[in-house]
Amino acid sequence: MKKKLLEQIIKKKNNKSEFAIITNLKTGDSEIFEVGKPINKDFKKYTDQINSFYKNKKNGVIEDTNIFIETYIRPIKVIIVGAVHIAQYLINYAKSLNFEIIVIDPRGYFATEQRFPGMKIINKWPDEAFKEMETNSNTALIALTHDPKIDDPALQHALNKKFYYIGALGSKKTHANRIERLKESGFNEHEINSIHGPIGIKLGGKSAPEIALSIIAQLVSETYKE
Amino acid sequence: MENSFDEKILEEAHDWVKANQKVVLATVIQTWGSSPRPTGSRMIVNENGDFSGSVSGGCVESTVVRECIGIIKDNKPFKKIEFKVSNESAWEVGLACGGEIAVYIEQVI
Repeated sequence: MKKKLLEQIIKKKNNKSEFAIITNLKTGDSEIFEVGKPINKDFKKYTDQINSFYKNKKNGVIEDTNIFIETYIRPIKVIIVGAVHIAQYLINYAKSLNFEIIVIDPRGYFATEQRFPGMKIINKWPDEAFKEMETNSNTALIALTHDPKIDDPALQHALNKKFYYIGALGSKKTHANRIERLKESGFNEHEINSIHGPIGIKLGGKSAPEIALSIIAQLVSETYKE
Repeated sequence: MENSFDEKILEEAHDWVKANQKVVLATVIQTWGSSPRPTGSRMIVNENGDFSGSVSGGCVESTVVRECIGIIKDNKPFKKIEFKVSNESAWEVGLACGGEIAVYIEQVI
Protein backbone atom coordinates (compact mmCIF):
# COMPACT_ATOMS: atom_id res chain seq x y z
CA MET A 1 0.00 0.00 0.00
CA LYS A 2 1.22 3.48 -0.83
CA LYS A 3 1.84 5.87 2.04
CA LYS A 4 -0.39 8.38 0.34
CA LEU A 5 -3.28 5.92 0.24
CA LEU A 6 -2.81 5.16 3.94
CA GLU A 7 -3.03 8.89 4.65
CA GLN A 8 -6.21 9.19 2.59
CA ILE A 9 -7.75 6.25 4.44
CA ILE A 10 -6.97 7.77 7.84
CA LYS A 11 -8.49 11.05 6.70
CA LYS A 12 -11.67 9.35 5.51
CA LYS A 13 -11.95 7.45 8.75
CA ASN A 14 -11.51 10.65 10.77
CA ASN A 15 -14.28 12.24 8.70
CA LYS A 16 -16.52 9.22 9.43
CA SER A 17 -16.92 8.56 5.70
CA GLU A 18 -18.24 5.32 4.25
CA PHE A 19 -15.83 3.68 1.80
CA ALA A 20 -13.98 0.50 0.98
CA ILE A 21 -10.36 -0.38 0.31
CA ILE A 22 -9.97 -2.59 -2.75
CA THR A 23 -6.76 -4.51 -3.34
CA ASN A 24 -5.59 -6.54 -6.31
CA LEU A 25 -3.75 -9.40 -4.63
CA LYS A 26 -1.91 -10.26 -7.88
CA THR A 27 -0.46 -6.83 -8.58
CA GLY A 28 -0.49 -5.33 -5.08
CA ASP A 29 -2.40 -2.28 -6.32
CA SER A 30 -4.96 -0.85 -3.97
CA GLU A 31 -7.30 2.12 -3.91
CA ILE A 32 -10.33 3.65 -2.25
CA PHE A 33 -13.79 2.76 -3.46
CA GLU A 34 -16.70 5.10 -2.87
CA VAL A 35 -20.23 4.83 -4.23
CA GLY A 36 -20.59 6.82 -7.42
CA LYS A 37 -16.88 7.64 -7.77
CA PRO A 38 -14.79 6.28 -10.65
CA ILE A 39 -12.27 3.48 -10.02
CA ASN A 40 -9.24 2.31 -11.99
CA LYS A 41 -9.84 0.19 -15.08
CA ASP A 42 -8.21 -2.83 -13.39
CA PHE A 43 -10.99 -2.80 -10.82
CA LYS A 44 -13.74 -1.47 -13.04
CA LYS A 45 -14.82 -4.84 -14.41
CA TYR A 46 -15.58 -5.99 -10.85
CA THR A 47 -17.79 -2.99 -10.07
CA ASP A 48 -20.94 -5.10 -9.55
CA GLN A 49 -19.25 -7.53 -7.18
CA ILE A 50 -17.54 -4.72 -5.28
CA ASN A 51 -20.88 -2.95 -4.90
CA SER A 52 -22.48 -6.12 -3.59
CA PHE A 53 -19.77 -6.63 -0.94
CA TYR A 54 -20.03 -2.98 -0.06
CA LYS A 55 -23.81 -3.05 0.32
CA ASN A 56 -23.61 -6.11 2.56
CA LYS A 57 -20.83 -4.48 4.60
CA LYS A 58 -18.67 -7.51 4.00
CA ASN A 59 -14.91 -8.01 3.90
CA GLY A 60 -13.45 -10.68 1.66
CA VAL A 61 -12.06 -11.87 -1.64
CA ILE A 62 -14.49 -11.71 -4.56
CA GLU A 63 -15.08 -15.27 -5.74
CA ASP A 64 -12.75 -16.49 -8.53
CA THR A 65 -10.80 -13.22 -8.55
CA ASN A 66 -7.78 -11.72 -6.86
CA ILE A 67 -9.72 -8.75 -5.58
CA PHE A 68 -9.92 -8.20 -1.82
CA ILE A 69 -12.40 -5.70 -0.46
CA GLU A 70 -12.53 -4.21 3.02
CA THR A 71 -15.54 -2.03 3.86
CA TYR A 72 -15.77 0.84 6.29
CA ILE A 73 -19.17 2.03 7.42
CA ARG A 74 -19.98 5.02 9.53
CA PRO A 75 -19.49 4.08 13.19
CA ILE A 76 -22.57 4.15 15.44
CA LYS A 77 -23.18 7.52 17.04
CA VAL A 78 -23.35 7.51 20.82
CA ILE A 79 -24.54 10.68 22.52
CA ILE A 80 -23.60 11.17 26.14
CA VAL A 81 -25.58 13.81 28.01
CA GLY A 82 -23.63 14.98 31.01
CA ALA A 83 -19.90 15.63 30.97
CA VAL A 84 -19.63 13.99 34.38
CA HIS A 85 -17.06 11.73 36.05
CA ILE A 86 -18.61 8.51 34.60
CA ALA A 87 -18.52 10.07 31.13
CA GLN A 88 -14.74 10.42 31.33
CA TYR A 89 -14.38 6.66 31.85
CA LEU A 90 -17.05 5.84 29.27
CA ILE A 91 -15.09 7.75 26.68
CA ASN A 92 -11.91 5.90 27.55
CA TYR A 93 -13.61 2.53 27.08
CA ALA A 94 -15.43 3.65 23.95
CA LYS A 95 -12.22 4.87 22.29
CA SER A 96 -11.18 1.34 21.43
CA LEU A 97 -14.73 0.31 20.52
CA ASN A 98 -15.35 2.13 17.27
CA PHE A 99 -18.24 4.34 18.31
CA GLU A 100 -18.54 7.99 17.40
CA ILE A 101 -18.94 9.74 20.74
CA ILE A 102 -20.53 13.15 21.22
CA VAL A 103 -20.86 14.74 24.66
CA ILE A 104 -23.56 17.29 25.41
CA ASP A 105 -23.60 19.38 28.55
CA PRO A 106 -24.93 22.93 28.92
CA ARG A 107 -22.91 23.39 32.09
CA GLY A 108 -19.68 25.01 31.01
CA TYR A 109 -17.74 23.99 34.10
CA PHE A 110 -18.29 20.29 33.30
CA ALA A 111 -17.84 20.41 29.55
CA THR A 112 -14.24 21.59 29.45
CA GLU A 113 -11.42 20.65 27.10
CA GLN A 114 -9.24 20.01 30.12
CA ARG A 115 -11.64 17.31 31.37
CA PHE A 116 -12.27 15.85 27.91
CA PRO A 117 -9.16 16.42 25.80
CA GLY A 118 -9.75 16.12 22.07
CA MET A 119 -13.44 15.23 22.46
CA LYS A 120 -16.38 16.63 20.58
CA ILE A 121 -18.29 18.46 23.32
CA ILE A 122 -21.41 20.48 22.64
CA ASN A 123 -21.80 23.08 25.35
CA LYS A 124 -25.55 23.57 24.82
CA TRP A 125 -28.92 22.38 26.11
CA PRO A 126 -29.90 19.06 24.49
CA ASP A 127 -32.75 20.61 22.44
CA GLU A 128 -30.32 23.04 20.85
CA ALA A 129 -27.55 20.46 20.49
CA PHE A 130 -29.79 17.95 18.67
CA LYS A 131 -30.59 20.57 16.03
CA GLU A 132 -26.94 20.39 14.94
CA MET A 133 -26.76 16.65 14.34
CA GLU A 134 -28.46 13.87 12.49
CA THR A 135 -29.92 11.21 14.74
CA ASN A 136 -31.95 8.10 13.91
CA SER A 137 -32.63 4.53 14.96
CA ASN A 138 -28.89 3.81 14.67
CA THR A 139 -28.09 6.30 17.41
CA ALA A 140 -27.61 5.62 21.12
CA LEU A 141 -28.19 7.92 24.09
CA ILE A 142 -26.58 7.71 27.50
CA ALA A 143 -28.12 10.26 29.86
CA LEU A 144 -25.93 10.80 32.90
CA THR A 145 -26.91 14.05 34.62
CA HIS A 146 -30.04 12.66 36.43
CA ASP A 147 -31.19 16.26 36.32
CA PRO A 148 -34.64 16.30 34.65
CA LYS A 149 -33.97 19.72 33.14
CA ILE A 150 -31.09 18.29 31.12
CA ASP A 151 -31.86 14.57 30.75
CA ASP A 152 -35.59 14.71 30.02
CA PRO A 153 -35.45 16.71 26.77
CA ALA A 154 -32.68 14.37 25.55
CA LEU A 155 -34.70 11.26 26.48
CA GLN A 156 -37.77 12.65 24.72
CA HIS A 157 -35.77 13.35 21.59
CA ALA A 158 -34.30 9.83 21.69
CA LEU A 159 -37.73 8.24 22.15
CA ASN A 160 -39.21 10.28 19.30
CA LYS A 161 -36.34 9.34 17.00
CA LYS A 162 -36.46 5.69 18.15
CA PHE A 163 -32.81 5.42 19.20
CA TYR A 164 -31.81 1.75 19.40
CA TYR A 165 -30.33 2.25 22.84
CA ILE A 166 -31.46 4.68 25.50
CA GLY A 167 -30.03 4.51 28.97
CA ALA A 168 -30.55 6.86 31.90
CA LEU A 169 -28.51 7.01 35.09
CA GLY A 170 -30.32 7.26 38.41
CA SER A 171 -31.65 5.15 41.25
CA LYS A 172 -34.88 3.14 41.01
CA LYS A 173 -36.67 6.04 42.70
CA THR A 174 -35.21 8.60 40.30
CA HIS A 175 -36.24 6.39 37.42
CA ALA A 176 -39.79 5.93 38.77
CA ASN A 177 -40.16 9.72 38.90
CA ARG A 178 -38.76 9.96 35.40
CA ILE A 179 -41.32 7.45 34.14
CA GLU A 180 -44.13 9.54 35.63
CA ARG A 181 -42.88 12.69 33.90
CA LEU A 182 -42.58 10.89 30.56
CA LYS A 183 -46.10 9.50 30.92
CA GLU A 184 -47.38 13.01 31.55
CA SER A 185 -45.57 14.11 28.39
CA GLY A 186 -47.58 11.54 26.43
CA PHE A 187 -45.15 8.64 25.98
CA ASN A 188 -46.68 5.19 26.18
CA GLU A 189 -45.55 2.28 28.31
CA HIS A 190 -43.81 0.49 25.46
CA GLU A 191 -41.73 3.55 24.65
CA ILE A 192 -40.89 4.19 28.28
CA ASN A 193 -39.91 0.56 28.82
CA SER A 194 -37.34 0.87 26.05
CA ILE A 195 -35.29 3.09 28.35
CA HIS A 196 -32.63 1.21 30.29
CA GLY A 197 -33.03 2.61 33.77
CA PRO A 198 -31.31 2.23 36.10
CA ILE A 199 -28.66 2.10 33.38
CA GLY A 200 -26.10 -0.67 32.84
CA ILE A 201 -25.86 -4.42 33.32
CA LYS A 202 -25.55 -5.73 36.85
CA LEU A 203 -21.87 -5.90 37.72
CA GLY A 204 -22.13 -4.82 41.31
CA GLY A 205 -19.47 -2.11 41.30
CA LYS A 206 -20.04 1.39 42.62
CA SER A 207 -17.02 3.35 41.38
CA ALA A 208 -17.25 5.59 38.32
CA PRO A 209 -15.10 3.29 36.11
CA GLU A 210 -17.14 0.26 37.22
CA ILE A 211 -20.43 1.97 36.39
CA ALA A 212 -19.00 3.12 33.07
CA LEU A 213 -18.00 -0.49 32.33
CA SER A 214 -21.52 -1.75 33.09
CA ILE A 215 -22.98 0.89 30.77
CA ILE A 216 -20.60 0.19 27.91
CA ALA A 217 -21.25 -3.57 28.26
CA GLN A 218 -24.99 -2.96 27.95
CA LEU A 219 -24.47 -0.65 24.98
CA VAL A 220 -22.39 -3.24 23.09
CA SER A 221 -24.83 -6.02 23.94
CA GLU A 222 -27.78 -3.98 22.65
CA THR A 223 -25.84 -3.04 19.53
CA TYR A 224 -25.47 -6.64 18.44
CA LYS A 225 -28.78 -7.95 19.79
CA GLU A 226 -30.57 -9.98 17.12
CA MET B 1 -27.26 -3.88 14.09
CA GLU B 2 -24.14 -3.49 11.99
CA ASN B 3 -21.07 -1.65 13.12
CA SER B 4 -17.84 -1.33 11.18
CA PHE B 5 -15.27 -4.05 11.95
CA ASP B 6 -12.40 -1.77 12.75
CA GLU B 7 -9.67 -2.23 15.33
CA LYS B 8 -7.91 0.99 14.35
CA ILE B 9 -4.67 -0.77 13.41
CA LEU B 10 -4.28 1.40 10.31
CA GLU B 11 -4.14 4.48 12.55
CA GLU B 12 -1.26 2.87 14.39
CA ALA B 13 0.41 1.95 11.11
CA HIS B 14 0.13 5.59 10.10
CA ASP B 15 1.84 6.64 13.35
CA TRP B 16 4.66 4.16 12.73
CA VAL B 17 5.11 5.43 9.18
CA LYS B 18 5.27 8.99 10.44
CA ALA B 19 7.98 7.85 12.85
CA ASN B 20 9.99 6.69 9.80
CA GLN B 21 9.58 3.01 10.47
CA LYS B 22 9.23 0.43 7.74
CA VAL B 23 5.76 -0.99 8.13
CA VAL B 24 4.13 -4.14 6.77
CA LEU B 25 0.35 -4.61 6.98
CA ALA B 26 -0.81 -8.20 7.44
CA THR B 27 -4.50 -8.75 6.77
CA VAL B 28 -6.70 -11.84 7.04
CA ILE B 29 -8.24 -12.01 3.56
CA GLN B 30 -9.90 -15.44 3.65
CA THR B 31 -10.92 -17.94 6.28
CA TRP B 32 -12.18 -21.54 6.11
CA GLY B 33 -13.59 -23.54 9.00
CA SER B 34 -13.30 -22.27 12.54
CA SER B 35 -10.58 -19.69 12.23
CA PRO B 36 -9.96 -17.57 15.28
CA ARG B 37 -10.25 -14.12 13.69
CA PRO B 38 -12.61 -12.79 10.99
CA THR B 39 -11.68 -11.52 7.54
CA GLY B 40 -10.29 -8.01 7.76
CA SER B 41 -8.42 -8.66 11.02
CA ARG B 42 -5.05 -7.07 10.84
CA MET B 43 -1.65 -6.77 12.42
CA ILE B 44 1.29 -4.53 11.61
CA VAL B 45 4.97 -5.34 11.80
CA ASN B 46 8.03 -3.11 11.54
CA GLU B 47 11.57 -3.88 10.44
CA ASN B 48 12.59 -4.70 14.03
CA GLY B 49 9.85 -7.27 14.40
CA ASP B 50 7.73 -5.10 16.71
CA PHE B 51 4.10 -5.90 16.04
CA SER B 52 0.59 -4.81 17.00
CA GLY B 53 -2.86 -6.25 16.31
CA SER B 54 -3.50 -9.88 15.39
CA VAL B 55 -4.45 -12.25 12.57
CA SER B 56 -5.13 -15.30 14.75
CA GLY B 57 -5.33 -16.04 18.43
CA GLY B 58 -1.56 -16.11 18.72
CA CYS B 59 -1.18 -19.30 16.63
CA VAL B 60 0.53 -17.91 13.54
CA GLU B 61 1.70 -14.45 14.57
CA SER B 62 5.37 -15.44 14.93
CA THR B 63 5.45 -16.77 11.36
CA VAL B 64 3.69 -13.67 10.06
CA VAL B 65 6.25 -11.45 11.79
CA ARG B 66 9.08 -13.47 10.19
CA GLU B 67 7.47 -13.25 6.75
CA CYS B 68 6.92 -9.51 7.13
CA ILE B 69 10.56 -8.89 8.06
CA GLY B 70 11.42 -11.12 5.11
CA ILE B 71 9.64 -8.98 2.52
CA ILE B 72 11.26 -5.83 3.93
CA LYS B 73 14.72 -7.47 3.61
CA ASP B 74 14.02 -8.86 0.13
CA ASN B 75 12.45 -5.58 -0.93
CA LYS B 76 9.29 -7.34 -2.04
CA PRO B 77 6.12 -5.26 -2.03
CA PHE B 78 3.62 -7.97 -1.03
CA LYS B 79 3.01 -11.69 -0.50
CA LYS B 80 0.16 -14.05 0.25
CA ILE B 81 0.58 -16.69 2.96
CA GLU B 82 -1.79 -19.56 3.68
CA PHE B 83 -2.03 -21.38 6.98
CA LYS B 84 -3.62 -24.81 6.88
CA VAL B 85 -4.76 -27.30 9.49
CA SER B 86 -2.05 -27.77 12.05
CA ASN B 87 0.76 -30.23 11.35
CA GLU B 88 3.56 -31.59 13.51
CA SER B 89 4.86 -28.10 14.21
CA ALA B 90 1.41 -27.05 15.35
CA TRP B 91 2.72 -25.58 18.54
CA GLU B 92 4.42 -22.99 16.40
CA VAL B 93 2.69 -22.36 13.10
CA GLY B 94 -0.51 -24.34 12.63
CA LEU B 95 -3.96 -23.28 13.69
CA ALA B 96 -4.77 -25.47 16.66
CA CYS B 97 -8.48 -25.04 16.02
CA GLY B 98 -8.22 -26.74 12.64
CA GLY B 99 -9.28 -23.74 10.60
CA GLU B 100 -7.47 -22.27 7.63
CA ILE B 101 -6.63 -18.67 6.90
CA ALA B 102 -5.01 -16.68 4.13
CA VAL B 103 -3.03 -13.62 5.14
CA TYR B 104 -1.95 -10.93 2.71
CA ILE B 105 1.13 -9.00 3.74
CA GLU B 106 2.10 -5.74 2.07
CA GLN B 107 4.69 -3.07 2.69
CA VAL B 108 3.64 0.53 3.16
CA ILE B 109 5.80 2.22 0.55
